[in-house]
Amino acid sequence: MAEARPAPGRAAEAAFRPWAVLNDRRFLPVILLAPVLIFFIIWNTIPTLWLLGLSFNNYSLTSGEPPSFIGFDNYISIFNDPDTWGSLSRTLLFVVLGVGIETFLGMLLGFLFWGSTRLPGRRVALTLLFAPMILTPVASGTFFRFIYDPTFGALSSILRALGITGVDLLGDPDTAYWAVLAVDVWMWTPFLMLMTLAALASVPKAELEAAAVDRLPWWQRLRLVIFHHGKFILILGVLLRTIDSFKTMDLVLQMTKGGPGVTTNTVALQLFRRAFEGFDLGWSSALAVLLLLISIAFTATFIFVLNLRRERAGP
Amino acid sequence: MSERLRQGLYHLILWLVALLFFSPVAWIVLCSFKTRSDILAVPPKLVFTPTIANYLDLFQRENFLLELRNSFTLSILAVVIAIVVSFLAAFCFSRFRPKATDFLMFLLLSIRMLPGAAVIVPVYLMYVAFGWKDDLAGLTLFYAMFSIPFSVWILKGFIDGISPRFDETALVNGGSWFHVIFKVVLPQVKPGLIAAFIFNLIFVWNEFLFNFIIGGRTTLTIPVALATGTYSEGGVDWTFVSTLTTVYILPPILAIYFFQKYLLVGMTFGTVRGEV
Repeated sequence: MAEARPAPGRAAEAAFRPWAVLNDRRFLPVILLAPVLIFFIIWNTIPTLWLLGLSFNNYSLTSGEPPSFIGFDNYISIFNDPDTWGSLSRTLLFVVLGVGIETFLGMLLGFLFWGSTRLPGRRVALTLLFAPMILTPVASGTFFRFIYDPTFGALSSILRALGITGVDLLGDPDTAYWAVLAVDVWMWTPFLMLMTLAALASVPKAELEAAAVDRLPWWQRLRLVIFHHGKFILILGVLLRTIDSFKTMDLVLQMTKGGPGVTTNTVALQLFRRAFEGFDLGWSSALAVLLLLISIAFTATFIFVLNLRRERAGP
Repeated sequence: MSERLRQGLYHLILWLVALLFFSPVAWIVLCSFKTRSDILAVPPKLVFTPTIANYLDLFQRENFLLELRNSFTLSILAVVIAIVVSFLAAFCFSRFRPKATDFLMFLLLSIRMLPGAAVIVPVYLMYVAFGWKDDLAGLTLFYAMFSIPFSVWILKGFIDGISPRFDETALVNGGSWFHVIFKVVLPQVKPGLIAAFIFNLIFVWNEFLFNFIIGGRTTLTIPVALATGTYSEGGVDWTFVSTLTTVYILPPILAIYFFQKYLLVGMTFGTVRGEV
């Protein structure tokens, strides 16, 4: 505690200088936290309370009437709304399939790039490879619409060369969902590859060499050495991707606007459209509250795994 | 097979994979150098006479320079504010561990885990009620708020990694806390600051939804222009879109080239450290 207590003489002196408060161990934490707390209260606490209050009201901007309290009616309406269940299950399928495929391909690529330290132009190659995940989904969505375009799109003409004609990938209700999913996979496989590389880098070289000396079969090396050390990083990656994937919206908005029909409508997109195209703010608030709870559950899981990793990591 | 040949083949495969992932982007960049009729040619042309007319055209559009300027000012201002504020808070969380530390860190993270549409509904109402809509300052502060969670998480991780003995030494030698924070700790978390800065910058640069809802004519940025512009006048103006996209994706791509070693930290909220 040597640092906490200034000499008595200096303390008396400090009383005359207001800015000395900045150096007081008792006030310092509060002063340091204050800006974040102010930001937090204005842009988070107030809106969240507003949201919560609004979710119990009937409030539509188009009707021009003030909000009226209706209790849990919005929540009941969401519960009974087949569209919401449809978009929710569509989103969950999107998450499971998307993250599943991305994890599989990402791990494959991660292992492929494991020994790439001597690749000529490695930095450029990795930049090209990681580019998809760093671009704004709005731009990716736009240029994939162009690539998918049935008449002059690049992909369509490749398909035409293969003898498949007359496909409109984004316009056909049967294929639109898969076309969007494919773009998501393209965007985020590099992320899981990055996580796989990180996981592989966390495996101690000595143990790998020991395993090689012991002539362990490859699947045992994978299980006992690589996964033993790398699993938490990999799990964190999958979790982060799951959370992000659940929010997918910009990409779909830009590619199909949820169509044709509702075949690509995700739950976040549905919320967006109900709020800012239908202006039914009471109902959307209730849905937002539910998504908020789901996100909190996701976050809790993420932090749980994070702490687990910290505990297991040892010295 | 000789060792060299195998190595060469392996490297060739790696490069092909990288190029495969980049090919959709490359295609758009290529298209931005085509004339309108070349873009709409069936089958698509791989060989064509490049033209920069699209770029000249783009820079003459009345809104383009405004959008570009907005994109830059908005992202840089918001991120600078966020980093300053977050650094102080991260120092506090890391060194003083106030009682609510874990809870606040959790809340901060959960903001970033929320779907944007759920965040923006009440903020929209608030901005309309307070008259902050279509205001660059209001938007900047909102983006700053949205960049804080990420920055606090990254910076706390880095500050945790610096031994408190440095602080103690400085304090015992008569240094103030101000000195400790800015002269002792700050220089040591430079990598954290860079990572937080770059990845927040990319995030704000890429973000479109919030600006679309709580922004307006004066705060137009390029993603908003892309989203709204693609639907104008019936068909999509593909020369315009491809050119705008090319200009827009250049900074993020350069950023991950120059700051590749921060990529891992940046993509995982600072929870996974290391290089690839």
